[in-house]
Amino acid sequence: MSASQSAVRSRAEAVQVSRTFDWMILFTLFTAVLGGYHIHYMLTGGDWDFWTDWKDRRLWVTVAPIVSITFPAAVQACLWWRYRLPIGATLSVVALMIGEWINRYFNFWGWTYFPVNICFPSNLLPGAIVLDVILMLGNSMTLTAVVGGLAYGLLFYPGNWPIIAPLHVPVEYNGMMMTLADLQGYHYVRTGTPEYIRMVEKGTLRTFGKDVAPVSAFFSGFVSIIIYFLWHFFGRWFAKTDFISDDAT
Amino acid sequence: MKLIKDKVAKLSFVALLVSLTAAMFYAPAASAHGEKSQAAFMRMRTIHWFDLNWSKEEVPVNETMTISGKFLVFAGWPETVDKPEVSFLNVGIPGPVFIRAGSWIGGQLVPRSVSLELGETYEFKVLLKARRPGDWHVHSMMNVQGGGPIIGPGKWVTITGSMRDFVNPVTTLTGQTIDLEHYALDNVYFWHAVWFAIAFAWLLFWIKRPLFVPRHIAVASGKADTLISAGDKKVAMLFGVGTLVVVAAAMGAANEKYPITTPLQAGLIRGMKTYQMPEATVSVKVDDATYRVPGRAMQMTLTITNNGDSAVRLGEFNTAGVRFLEPAVHEDETNYPDDLLAEEGLTVSDNSPLAPGETRTVEVTASDAAWEVYRLADLIYDPDSRFAGLLFFWDENGTRQMVTVDAPLIPSFI
Ligand SMILES: [Cu+2]
Repeated sequence: MSASQSAVRSRAEAVQVSRTFDWMILFTLFTAVLGGYHIHYMLTGGDWDFWTDWKDRRLWVTVAPIVSITFPAAVQACLWWRYRLPIGATLSVVALMIGEWINRYFNFWGWTYFPVNICFPSNLLPGAIVLDVILMLGNSMTLTAVVGGLAYGLLFYPGNWPIIAPLHVPVEYNGMMMTLADLQGYHYVRTGTPEYIRMVEKGTLRTFGKDVAPVSAFFSGFVSIIIYFLWHFFGRWFAKTDFISDDAT
Repeated sequence: MKLIKDKVAKLSFVALLVSLTAAMFYAPAASAHGEKSQAAFMRMRTIHWFDLNWSKEEVPVNETMTISGKFLVFAGWPETVDKPEVSFLNVGIPGPVFIRAGSWIGGQLVPRSVSLELGETYEFKVLLKARRPGDWHVHSMMNVQGGGPIIGPGKWVTITGSMRDFVNPVTTLTGQTIDLEHYALDNVYFWHAVWFAIAFAWLLFWIKRPLFVPRHIAVASGKADTLISAGDKKVAMLFGVGTLVVVAAAMGAANEKYPITTPLQAGLIRGMKTYQMPEATVSVKVDDATYRVPGRAMQMTLTITNNGDSAVRLGEFNTAGVRFLEPAVHEDETNYPDDLLAEEGLTVSDNSPLAPGETRTVEVTASDAAWEVYRLADLIYDPDSRFAGLLFFWDENGTRQMVTVDAPLIPSFI
């Protein structure tokens, strides 16, 4: 196919082909992000996202946004600067969470029989939507990194609290006080995840008393800013190789 | 055009495969049958499980059984394994086929990790409630930080009934009784559905218009700003503000509905109560020990001294949960798993009662297929080829004494 010879015969056909293209690229992008992001998130966020008794006020709140702002930043870089499409973050997170739900429902519950109420994924959507909106309205990478990154970190805990709050109701069990989430982790035996690898409520933010979640969220937000920059550049660099090469247009 | 279309289609297919693989990538370990593949020295020289008892062999769903017994934290703990300063009493089962309704060491509930001392014996109990029907191999198990799982003996237990009938009622400190099996699940689905709906609405708002080719052309020709209209900005504002409002409102509603919540509980439990075995009055010296590969038998020359005031006889050698019994002295009445029990596996060259004050050197042979089946014989290929185990002696009154042995092992291939 050369530049001198058009592949389509009419404008209507061109529009139709272009639309078919849209869906194919979107589908490819969606599945590729789903796969890559899901593996990345499992390797970095792993158990913090798998189990309710890992979802604490310190490390989960800190780790999850930092490791999950990666792909949204990269995909935003590609979709916004190349196509002015402000859906990079939302698309990534929707893909991730669909992948997670498939895994949790079919593997954790369907195959290993962990109840879904112990192994549901964390909610990353509010932060992703806000990230897209900020990029679109500000049209600035720096602004999105600073304001969006911080917002992404800050929105994580409140975005999840309505989901996990019922599991933080305390219970007395054989003379010990624990939350229902702790009890889930104790009841539903995980041979490969002994209690001591659970990294919860550890850290040095003790001076802030009981308000550790906001402090962790701020810290997470600050680190998310840096990670956003980093992955935004990755995204730009990757987006340099385009599907549509010059001789095709 | 067709060429590109094919390429994209092919790429999509590859991406789909990759993502499906990724989704299938991880499932929590479902099998608990690592027992035989664990290095022999790990099983012989770390935690010695004994006096084990599985209270039932068949349990209907919702009913309970216990695994109880004792374990000795071996004094000659191998250098290559981290000391059990942070350990967790677990059970080796294929996923939550039972729920762990309780677990105790020395009478103390141990939902957390504990610190164990070398050379001490502890009594333990795990209460299991049957959840999923099937035949399951149920092991005692100790996870040691830096050492991995140390799997104890396993026994087959059958769960009957239907998992659909399983209930897990728990009464909270706020006075409600809930079923932890399904608790809060509707809430999880509800909020995820809400957020997916909002996210899909945002995606749809953009995806419904022509995307990549025309937008790329516009951006490339410097007309990027025309791609975002004032209307788009208004909608974006709505989504941004809407997100914040929904988050805040949901947070407020959750706090109102669940005014009393506590952080996750964690922490190491120290100072576990040990179990005092009766003071051993018998002392044993291992003169030599060989493992005869063709005969699947271990032979030890022991010099035994009785410092007590009652004559004793050797009745059992226990290593890695395999029990070799001398039937004239001791018989198993606990229904110990067959594959781990050599009822006549222990022979002693002279096992007449050893009188108080007497010293005798005897040849002791522990032979059974279990050496091979449980791959204990692989010990001879370990970097530090030592064996270890527990010897049990009985005196005239039937009182039992436990003595540990720990010595080099020489293989014999002929
Ligand atoms: Cu087993």
